[in-house]
Amino acid sequence: MSRNASRPDVDFADRFPRELAGELLAIAREGGADFSEVYAEYTVQTAFALDEGRLKRSSVAVLEGVGVRANAGAQTGYACADGFLPADLREAARVAGHIARDGGAGRVAPFHVTDSPAPFTLSFPAPLALDEAAKIAMLRRADEAARSADRRVREVEITHADSTRRFVVANSDGRWAEDRQYLSRFSVAALALEGDNRQQGFAAAGGCVEAGYFESERTPETVAREAAQSAITLLAAREPEAGSTPVVVAPGWGGVMVHECFGHSMEGDGIRKRTSIRADQRGRQVAAKGVTIVDSGVVPFSRGSFRVDDEGTPAQRTVLVEDGILIGYMWDLLNARIMRERPTGNGRRSSYRDYPLCRMTNTYIESGPHTPEDLVADVKRGLFCKHLGGGSVNPADGNFSFVVTEAWQIEDGRLTHPVRNATLTGNGNDAMLKIDAVANDLKIDGTTGSCGKNGQWKPCGVGQPTVRFSEITVGGTAT
Amino acid sequence: MSAPVRDPGAAGARVDGAAAQGSTPARLRDLGALAVECALAAGAAEAEACVESTRSFSVGVSGGAIETLKQNVTRGLGLRVLVGDAVGFVTTTDLTEGTLDDLAHRAVALARFLTPDPCNAFVTPAEAEGADGATLPEDLALFDPAVRELPAEKKIEWALELERLALAFDPRITRTDGAHVSTHDGASAIVNSNGIARAWDSTAVTAYVVPLADDRDGRQQTGCYGVSKRWLRDLPEPRAIAAEAARRAVSRIGARSVPSARVPVVLHPDIAANWISEMHKAFSGEALLKESSWLTGKLEQLIAAPLVTLVDDGRLRAGIGTEPWDGEGVATRKNRLIDRGRLATFVYDVYHARRAGRRSSGNAVRGYSSQPSIGFTNLYIEAGAQSPEQILKQVDRGFFMDDQGSFGFNSVTGDYSYQAQGFWIENGEKAFPVEGVTVASNSLEMLKNVVAVGNDLRFDHSVASSTLLISEMTVSGRAA
Repeated sequence: MSRNASRPDVDFADRFPRELAGELLAIAREGGADFSEVYAEYTVQTAFALDEGRLKRSSVAVLEGVGVRANAGAQTGYACADGFLPADLREAARVAGHIARDGGAGRVAPFHVTDSPAPFTLSFPAPLALDEAAKIAMLRRADEAARSADRRVREVEITHADSTRRFVVANSDGRWAEDRQYLSRFSVAALALEGDNRQQGFAAAGGCVEAGYFESERTPETVAREAAQSAITLLAAREPEAGSTPVVVAPGWGGVMVHECFGHSMEGDGIRKRTSIRADQRGRQVAAKGVTIVDSGVVPFSRGSFRVDDEGTPAQRTVLVEDGILIGYMWDLLNARIMRERPTGNGRRSSYRDYPLCRMTNTYIESGPHTPEDLVADVKRGLFCKHLGGGSVNPADGNFSFVVTEAWQIEDGRLTHPVRNATLTGNGNDAMLKIDAVANDLKIDGTTGSCGKNGQWKPCGVGQPTVRFSEITVGGTAT
Repeated sequence: MSAPVRDPGAAGARVDGAAAQGSTPARLRDLGALAVECALAAGAAEAEACVESTRSFSVGVSGGAIETLKQNVTRGLGLRVLVGDAVGFVTTTDLTEGTLDDLAHRAVALARFLTPDPCNAFVTPAEAEGADGATLPEDLALFDPAVRELPAEKKIEWALELERLALAFDPRITRTDGAHVSTHDGASAIVNSNGIARAWDSTAVTAYVVPLADDRDGRQQTGCYGVSKRWLRDLPEPRAIAAEAARRAVSRIGARSVPSARVPVVLHPDIAANWISEMHKAFSGEALLKESSWLTGKLEQLIAAPLVTLVDDGRLRAGIGTEPWDGEGVATRKNRLIDRGRLATFVYDVYHARRAGRRSSGNAVRGYSSQPSIGFTNLYIEAGAQSPEQILKQVDRGFFMDDQGSFGFNSVTGDYSYQAQGFWIENGEKAFPVEGVTVASNSLEMLKNVVAVGNDLRFDHSVASSTLLISEMTVSGRAA
């Protein structure tokens, strides 16, 4: 394993000893808080970017500090400090503890180290094993491959970014958990030009992967050609027909629909506060028969996976919907404690600067009985969504929308021509009930997704097999 | 090689974490100068430091009780170095003594991997001067001592009051998704080895509430309204914010879809503001250079109705997007991007301005943890003459759009396609609330199809617009 010249490291245990952690937990409970937690982090992020054929950007960022949380009932006090200076951390603990004023000081249980097994291990994590020269070579190979894919490819932007994140989380219940998380992301955006027509294609690779992944599974050339091909395809695409139509969504990243339309409404905070429509739906049919929906933090090599979550709870596989019936929710520590549920390893935060929220890991629809071809063959007129872009949902009213970056028109069971600029919209309350066929080709995309909630961004995976919705509103300009 | 601008032995240059917290602008500038000096000593030909220190506080309440109280005291330094015309960039949140030297060496090591480009040279004081001479940061009114001194108890009280007032607005509002008040108090410094040494401080205060109104079948409708200001006294009364948010939630009760149609669309100021913030990338000198802008080749052409003037004003007094200098230390300016329909200019940072043989327009945007990129400051469409009511009256049959999804803009093509909520318009009046539709067009068509601009320009945030009337867009809903 080579070592990066520009990647710093630090002796974590030296900077954040257990005695200090214990002291901070006690300070945060001095006002009577019933729970306190400290989270110490040391993260290094590196990035290289090539565009116009030039290596224009490189960066190494170090993010280090400690966040202290105190809970009193459903109330949260939080304060953080950059770095590890004990005086700063004690101040943060006092500020967080102010959430409770009137109670007696709480005690802090002796620490027990969480030693849950890792869902998978990496021998040569890409962020450690790839040095600067190796990353730059990947960028140049992708540039060459995208430009030689088609003469209409005008510009190519390629980025390699990775991070190593180390943290310790300890709480007043005596939990002490540590983890190291490695993430890599390699992405290519290709711009194709033909007269006044300009289109951009995008493709990515990565996850929590071995260095060898970029040679054996998704090479820079593969990613570059996908991006170039998508841009070229879009040059010939037509505007979508506006209206309601059957929609078939491709496997893998298409799972962003179940993430937005359904997953967010299953997070424990909305269930406890009853701002989610799912709060009373346990045991009820919420998706079509044959649809099983899972959130799992243990999917191998995905960026949504980990050994323990950001509260130290071991990752697990949680079945949310089994054969269309809602059987369980996702829980973080705070919401599980109040609702007397078992935490499911869904307590996550973007860094020590934020308190944890209940949120998804890798969320996907399990495989069904059909072949992907069957799903298209039965459609007289509809839309096949090959690449979805971003999507969003308002969990309170359920309204969702997705951008479809590359779609194909289905006519009499066959894909006839590419379609661009389509938007899928609807209401999450019934979207999963409109699934009328699930294929047998499950793919989980753990390469590139990030989810935003309350201003915090967090890596996650999404997945599904090919899935068909009986009817979705497609926005477009052709009528 | 240029000399560093500040004597690193100056008072306050000794660095430690406690001292950096709540730092004065002058102190951050000294710290930046020290980092620049370390970089030159490590072998950089030029260097630039961006240093920030912030104290932010936020309270969220729900159901009449505090839900979250959060205080963040953060600081950080980003160091850019130039070695053989190539740039290396490193950032850290650890400002303890001894780390700057290590940081500088890593930045220099990193630069050696990159492609040399003479346009990378950092800005000089002569290039960085403003169009209107030397305006002092104080003249821009970015810092309000009252925001810094506002007690936590007062902020908690306001948040509780916001929620209470929203709940009291209408019996159908039975809960909220929270009311929030936050304050931000920060100092920034930009220092480079060519003699740039800028430092200033600023404040911001934000209040918003998200009422939920009960609708049929156990469903609920969301209203959300909030305002950000630099000065406490500019923030509207809690009653006004709560009423606006509550009115939005209640007005959506009973919303339904409509058949697909091509009709005139009235864009609420919030929706128009979101559109121009998405469009801004097309005005970037970088996109122009790479031909990735849908405005490529259209400079000086009429791209919009003559009613449309689009402005990016970095010097708007007390504006939430105002800064005295941009992320490279260049004085900000007021740039007219569209002048009465004509594409008047693209905007630049230093690197892309050099590539284009121009001067930076003061549009480099960054925090300490990112390198400069082209962005906007206070972006708005200049107000027109008509009231929103007069605009509505012009529409016999159409759609009034006042809420939208998050994704739906293609920055390469200008294609616009958003999930939308609002009202169906019949005979110049709002007939009934609408949801479950998308609204689509292309930005070039929309710009040309602006047939009315309202007189209701209001800066709730850094991007703003009046009500706009677009003569035709595609509204897609249920089958006709």
